[in-house]
Amino acid sequence: MTNVLEVDSIHTFIGQFQILEGVSLEVPEGSITALLGRNGAGKTTTLKSILGLTPPRQGRIVLAGQEIQGRRTYEIAMLGIGYVPEHRAVFNQLTVRENLKIAERKRGDLERRADFIFALFPDLKRLYHLPGGHLSGGQQQMLAIARALVPNNRLLLIDEPSEGLAPVLIEQLMEAIRKLSAELTVLLVEQNFTMASHLADKYVIIDNGRTVHRGQMAELSRDKETIHRYLGAAM
Amino acid sequence: MWKRYRATVVSFVIILALVGLMYAGSNATRTASVLLSGLTLASLYFLLAAGLSLIFGLMDVLNFAHGVLFMIGAYLGYSTFGNPRLLLNTLPLLLVLAAGAAIGALAGQPLRAWEATVRRRAADQSVRGAQGVLLALVSRVSPSFLLALLAVVLAIWGARGFPLNRLVAFEGTATGGAVPTVEAQEALALMFGRLARMAAAGLLIGPIFARREEGRRVRAQWPPIVLIVVAAIGGVAMLLARDPLEGFLLGLSVNVRFLLALAVGALSGGLLGVLIETTLIRPFYGNVVTQIVLTLGLSFVGEELVKAAWGREGRPPMQMPTFFAQSCRSDNLIAWFSEQCSSVDVLGRAFPTYRLFIIAVGVFILVGVGVLLRYSRLGMIIRAGVQDSHMVEALGINVRRVFTLVFALGSALAALGGVIAAPFVGVYPGMGTAFQLQAFIAVVIGGMGSYPGTAVGVLLLGLARAFGDALVTGGVTLPWMEQALNASPAVARASTVLIMAIVLLVRPAGIFGRKE
Repeated sequence: MTNVLEVDSIHTFIGQFQILEGVSLEVPEGSITALLGRNGAGKTTTLKSILGLTPPRQGRIVLAGQEIQGRRTYEIAMLGIGYVPEHRAVFNQLTVRENLKIAERKRGDLERRADFIFALFPDLKRLYHLPGGHLSGGQQQMLAIARALVPNNRLLLIDEPSEGLAPVLIEQLMEAIRKLSAELTVLLVEQNFTMASHLADKYVIIDNGRTVHRGQMAELSRDKETIHRYLGAAM
Repeated sequence: MWKRYRATVVSFVIILALVGLMYAGSNATRTASVLLSGLTLASLYFLLAAGLSLIFGLMDVLNFAHGVLFMIGAYLGYSTFGNPRLLLNTLPLLLVLAAGAAIGALAGQPLRAWEATVRRRAADQSVRGAQGVLLALVSRVSPSFLLALLAVVLAIWGARGFPLNRLVAFEGTATGGAVPTVEAQEALALMFGRLARMAAAGLLIGPIFARREEGRRVRAQWPPIVLIVVAAIGGVAMLLARDPLEGFLLGLSVNVRFLLALAVGALSGGLLGVLIETTLIRPFYGNVVTQIVLTLGLSFVGEELVKAAWGREGRPPMQMPTFFAQSCRSDNLIAWFSEQCSSVDVLGRAFPTYRLFIIAVGVFILVGVGVLLRYSRLGMIIRAGVQDSHMVEALGINVRRVFTLVFALGSALAALGGVIAAPFVGVYPGMGTAFQLQAFIAVVIGGMGSYPGTAVGVLLLGLARAFGDALVTGGVTLPWMEQALNASPAVARASTVLIMAIVLLVRPAGIFGRKE
């Protein structure tokens, strides 16, 4: 299995604080890889470093054979990365349609992908002309994921999709992510271990800005000690 | 629903109350002309405030240099209209400077790479002794920066004494208007000297623009060779063509020359905007204090440059295009189209037609930018970027280019406003600051970064200013008063600040502003 993404020992600073001190991970093609860790372990910063939003000072990031560290964020995104940030970052002033339209990289992207998107999130069709700010949390989460599906991406970075959502919605969301992973590779940051363990094939655990564990999800689920040690409260 | 439209309703109630008060205090005729005067001012404020508001909304930059662009637009428009030859003469100089800079950027690449290496080695503390001291010295005072300083000196030498200040150096008139005197020009030989100095200045300043990254693969952007060739050919062509071109321009009708002045003003404003954003603003995004100090400094520099180029004294209002210049009074707008009178009858009172033109331009720009924001992809990106420009970039959109574009658009609008203001208020070195202050107040009243808010803000401000002036000149007798209420000029000037204070007391984020 080839890797869509390889992160090799990146070090990232925010201001003068070093957040990442050697995070490494691989995301094999077609997989869902879960990035796990306690609060403040550096999960979100890892995603932002991959995208160049907080550029790493050291280390290598390879996307489908190309080194991407040090490039501008929009260039990295253009290579085929979709980003679903924490707290969703739906554009409040834009309608649902515009929120999707703005993600187009080629004219007609939205029309091409509309069927796929509405099959995953039928609700969005009903809300199509409503401003993003009027949507509920769950609807915004779906919109944020749908937005990342509009262009032809090969990799999706999803940050804490279940945060603040009711259990019913989490079920729906998991279903959608499972379905879309048939087409795309996913790197998923998730606090909710149950959700991550049901979805992901592989896992990476980071702690204090370092990769401390990685392997098959099925093995981790049995390894109570590792879970307790690095994810502690998350269980 | 109510919540959504509350701001709009409230602001219109305030405006209606202002108009009603005026109406109660005098009569319909006077109210109408005061109203139109207010709209004229609002229009001019809007051309400045629109850019300020867009730039702040999208990039969080408080651009204190916006008024300077307004002023430079006014001066350039004035020159284009009154004495195009002087402006034509500057073009070869600018082209040569650009060509020099392009060559310098190419040739300076090794220099920049070497500097980067030196800086890295200086940071590495292990090199000691004389070599270490040398490294530290070179890395701190970078040679390319010194070259750039030298370039500025050369450029000043090249530009010194250039007779740009004769805005209207005319004697006699021809069909197309006045004709410049011969001594308004410099001998060609002097021009060649200036050209040589400008080219050298360009060469020296070029390395600053060379790509700095060391080691990283340098992508071919614009082939600089093309730029050099175009600029060189253009420079020579401009030099040869200046006489025929000037003859042609002066042969045009006054109306066409006025349109040309508008275009030249807006275009050069836009280009200046690009230059300012890419060189000065871009390195400091996110660094609010630096940007404020920088743009504030830029506004002083700009004002002094204008004084150096065009003199300390202002000029009387620019000649009106004939479309607004026949000395008569038209009965209505339709009659005006055929008679082209300087004023039109509004409820029995003469009102200058040129001011109606200013209002029309303001409305046109208001609607135009509104449509752009609402229906175009660029507008969509701007509206999204106002909320979260990082997310927009993460979608694969080159946000920096959008920033440059919006900055250029705002600058072009400001410069356009300057040209339009020139026949109305004349040109003078302080005009930028004066109008910018009002535009700032309007943006604050409307709510920073809100486009509809800006429109309402300028409307309130323009009307308040006009009402204030009416209070000063004629006084107002409200129904319950026995004597006309007369205000001192200070009240008219203070009225705008007063409105701002009241609005901010009630709504600290402005009428359309959102709390953050």
